[in-house]
Amino acid sequence: MSAPTLKRLPTRPALRGRKRWLSWTVVAAVVVFLHVLAIQGTDFQPQLLVDGWKGMAQFLADAFPPDLSWEKTIKPGLDATLVTLWIGLLGTTFSIPTALLLAVLGARTTSPAGWVYQLARAVLSFFRAVPDIVFALIFVTAVGLGPFPGVLALICHNTGVMGKLWAEAMEEIDSGPQEALRAAGANRVQQVANATLPMVVPQFVGLLLYRFDVNVRSSLVLGLVGAGGIGLLINQSIKTFRFDAMLTHIIIVLVLIIVVDQFSAFVRKRLAV
Amino acid sequence: MNGPLLEVTSLAKSFGGRKVLDGVDFSVAAGELVAFLGANGSGKSTTLRCVMGITEPDAGTIKLGGQDLGLLQGRSLQQARGRAAMIFQKIHLVPRRTALENVCTGALSRMSTGRSLSPLFFPDPVLEEAMDCLDRVGLADRAHDRVSRLSGGQQQRVAVARALCQRADVVLADEPVSALDPHAAEQVMQLLAGLAHEHGLAVAAVLHQPDLALRHADRAIGLMDGRMVFDSPVTGLGTAELDHLYAPDRRLAA
Repeated sequence: MSAPTLKRLPTRPALRGRKRWLSWTVVAAVVVFLHVLAIQGTDFQPQLLVDGWKGMAQFLADAFPPDLSWEKTIKPGLDATLVTLWIGLLGTTFSIPTALLLAVLGARTTSPAGWVYQLARAVLSFFRAVPDIVFALIFVTAVGLGPFPGVLALICHNTGVMGKLWAEAMEEIDSGPQEALRAAGANRVQQVANATLPMVVPQFVGLLLYRFDVNVRSSLVLGLVGAGGIGLLINQSIKTFRFDAMLTHIIIVLVLIIVVDQFSAFVRKRLAV
Repeated sequence: MNGPLLEVTSLAKSFGGRKVLDGVDFSVAAGELVAFLGANGSGKSTTLRCVMGITEPDAGTIKLGGQDLGLLQGRSLQQARGRAAMIFQKIHLVPRRTALENVCTGALSRMSTGRSLSPLFFPDPVLEEAMDCLDRVGLADRAHDRVSRLSGGQQQRVAVARALCQRADVVLADEPVSALDPHAAEQVMQLLAGLAHEHGLAVAAVLHQPDLALRHADRAIGLMDGRMVFDSPVTGLGTAELDHLYAPDRRLAA
């Protein structure tokens, strides 16, 4: 087979090519510059890690083998893990009503008025911007140490994050059914309840499970600062130099995270069908 | 009922300085199926969207059931508009809900907000009426199937049932069969014609295929560049008029 005779039309735009090169060079230069600043700002020195490897090796050697005594380590670890799980669960589910309300008011397609939209977005930004640990410290001053302030902290922070994610999910779906109901004379609440929300159920549940996953891990960190749960035990075992117990607790945490992750993946898969 | 159910006079609309509608006058009487024909961009869909209040017209009067919509506001405007139901090319049902639940949403304006929060709370009379509407479009046996499991033609018939459940006496259909295969299109057109001829509704449909209009409609209105070029019974329409009407599309294709 012989090659076809070609008309040899130009395949590359004449000017655009050079312009594109220029813009890529500028972007690359900016990125490199930012990284130089960041490396200086964080004292990022790999040399220190190489020099100090012995200290780290000693720390890890002390942790092996993990402490597998049932009464002293594993049972308290499991009990505390359950508390961590409960904090994550309540922090997620109890924030559903507030997140839902703010999401509906803070989505451009469902919000009743411009100023309501702006206000809802501002409230969501506030809850998102304040870290859960800060919320926890504030609530500790009111209700004392323990898991309860941890739950309250997660409710606040999760309202901000989940509300924003849900609002964006509602803005992204097809607004046709909602317009159809408006044309049929339905009021705004009816439009949202009968068109927008049923359309986004899969996305909402997916995001809810994702947040559950994140919140269980956050409650671990909250435990480190006194909110109870397995995080508290890890902190205590480090402070009392029981590194073998610490390793046991970390292994338990690892199993918990894997179980939660598998569970949410399973549910999401079922929903997608 | 005396006089036409839908009466539109000197409707005008511009988008960014371009006149999309320019002095459109027409009326649709009870028991009549009127087809809107025209090339792309001739203003057919905009006309229906103005009547439905989805697009705000610049000038002109729209009378639904004798009531001038321009003189009404708020709740009474919404009530007057409720007499007209809209059927969309993209159907716009909620795919995750059942056919029956979707049909019920046509009756939302008659339900209290509290009872309409979930299909679980929908009042029994509404459910019964919705079931009856589904039966009228021949889909009573699919009432409890999710809409996503129905074919395109079946979905559009569910949308027609939703319009019936709204108790509308005017039905406005914006390219109701453009996304359907020929067989389903035929079925939906027969259904719309039946609504007009057997149930006495006033039906206005924007159509892309003139042959469908010639077969099912009583009257056809031709639009070209936002102006009406004919308004006549379909029996009086010849190929010359239609050729002239679709000339802009051919110019684009050439």
